[in-house]
Amino acid sequence: MAATEAPGRAAPGGRAGAGRLRPRRRSAADRRDARAGLALTAPAVLLVGVFALFPLGFGVYISLTNWPLVGAYHFVGLSNYTGLIHNSVFLQSILFTLKYTAIVTIPIFVVGYALAVFVRSNRRGTTLFRTLIFLPYIVGLVAESFMAVVELQPSSGTANFVLSRLHLVTDTTAWTVHTGLATTAICILVIWFASGLTMMLLMAGMQGIPTDIYESARVDGASWWSAERRITLPLLRRSIALSLIISVVGSFLAFNQFFIITDGGPGTSTESVVMSIFQTAFADTDVGLASAMSVVLVIVVGLITFIQFHYLQRDTD
Amino acid sequence: MASVRSGRPQSGATATVGHAGNGQAPGPRAGRAGRRAGGRARDGLTLFIVGGILISAVFVLPLLWETFRSLQPESTVSNPPSAASFGHLTFANYRALLSGQDDILRNVVNSLIVGVLTALLTAAVSTLAGYGFGLFRFRGSGLVFGLVLLAFMIPFQAVLTPLFLEMHFLHLLNNLVGLALFYTTFNLPVGVYVMRNSFLQVPREIVDAARVDGASVSRTLMSVLRPLVLPGIATAALYAFLFSWTEFLGALSFMTNDSLFTLPVALSNAETGTYGAVNYGLLLAGAVIAMIPCIVVYVALQRFYVRGLVSGALKG
Repeated sequence: MAATEAPGRAAPGGRAGAGRLRPRRRSAADRRDARAGLALTAPAVLLVGVFALFPLGFGVYISLTNWPLVGAYHFVGLSNYTGLIHNSVFLQSILFTLKYTAIVTIPIFVVGYALAVFVRSNRRGTTLFRTLIFLPYIVGLVAESFMAVVELQPSSGTANFVLSRLHLVTDTTAWTVHTGLATTAICILVIWFASGLTMMLLMAGMQGIPTDIYESARVDGASWWSAERRITLPLLRRSIALSLIISVVGSFLAFNQFFIITDGGPGTSTESVVMSIFQTAFADTDVGLASAMSVVLVIVVGLITFIQFHYLQRDTD
Repeated sequence: MASVRSGRPQSGATATVGHAGNGQAPGPRAGRAGRRAGGRARDGLTLFIVGGILISAVFVLPLLWETFRSLQPESTVSNPPSAASFGHLTFANYRALLSGQDDILRNVVNSLIVGVLTALLTAAVSTLAGYGFGLFRFRGSGLVFGLVLLAFMIPFQAVLTPLFLEMHFLHLLNNLVGLALFYTTFNLPVGVYVMRNSFLQVPREIVDAARVDGASVSRTLMSVLRPLVLPGIATAALYAFLFSWTEFLGALSFMTNDSLFTLPVALSNAETGTYGAVNYGLLLAGAVIAMIPCIVVYVALQRFYVRGLVSGALKG
């Protein structure tokens, strides 16, 4: 029994094709395996189908209609999409989100990398430092955005109290109702919030690099900096790509901090793409248009993720 | 170079495995290295610890500061700071939040229900799926696995509108279970990835031995494999709980009945002054209440969190 079963399961979960080398009649055990495998994965497939894949397809369908939140709808072809080209609020939200992403990505990476270099050793205290530096990410941007709202208030907030003592701003500066100031404050908040994640991802990658490479580099007389540049950076490409993608996609999908701190204001000048979709769907109740915006968002994010996969795939070969 | 790259452990590494590239510290005991070398190492360590404390302060002090501020009465929080009132601390904000008309206790309970349910569902569904993908071969398993990971490529922010209509149709709007199912789905890519890896790391002999002994599929999972994949289950549940607890946009969209609001949504309502004038003292205390479970859960279970990062869970 065991002898006949074992070869059939030669590669549990192995790459497709590994088992097809033996074109043998499927045994009862194989069929039992197939049934069990399908049954075990069914709940996951069901959930992904119902809450992710179906809405995705449904969204494409809705984007071709003039669907209001309540009432009848009819097909309007691609007019939602052609309308987007002239939709100044949506275009502005895309430009603003791109600008925001461009501003925060490099600082998050540079700060995260420096932190990773600092905490990657196994010295005494590093575990504690890692935990403390990572806390802002764990606590979540929502709670921190509420705190920022309170502290960015003119005259009563801590931000003005400190900065006016340093003669950088007056203590009546109203951060949240000024586009430039609000963007600056939110970018600083997000860099503080997110660099811990980049640190953890890069640190995990750095710890996977065998120590003996550094030892032989040192024997060859390489300096710290050249070892970092010639060994760490090339070997860390995967982790660097991963952390950059997570940070770029995360920035592109930003919602919480803008909704909470500025509510998109003044006007719609700090409205992110996701916020623009949210307002179109639930405030303007134009679900068709909101779905067209969503489809554009899926394509953009899909492209970024696809580039990630492409990059990672090439790297593992 | 190529051999080094392929030899890099991606899945096998644990949080503590592997030394830092070049941060070798000789440690406090330099042994026979001589007094001068020992002194230099000690100086290095002191510098490292002082630097570490300063850097950590940048990340932790703001959170501690807000906790301190949340203990000030509302009048201190919303007025220009004065030395006289600044040190006067009280639990008034917390008392007001946990009783009376600004009560958010209900919302804390809602958040807990959704968070725990999301963690349990994610752990259960991911474990079953990871078991199926890891240890059973069936036609199309690669395709199905790809399908589950595809959810990782679909940002939930982008399917929110159609999902709103679908959940309305399924009577899952204003429904804590519905919200938990939504959260579970978007935690599955991470959970299934982690669990499949956990099952793939179980030694083949153990699985085969269970079969030879005639253990059924479910019995093998429950009595033989469960203890071996428990760390993976903890990782999946931890990610799911933290996601659910801090999630805002989905809860804001799918919950319109304020007795069912999760904590972030209730606080957002308080911030925009739905309950009357904005009370910044309450807002701060609410934000501190929102951050406490995250810190407690993370600090207690962080080795499982790091394990997920190392195994490349976020890579999808």
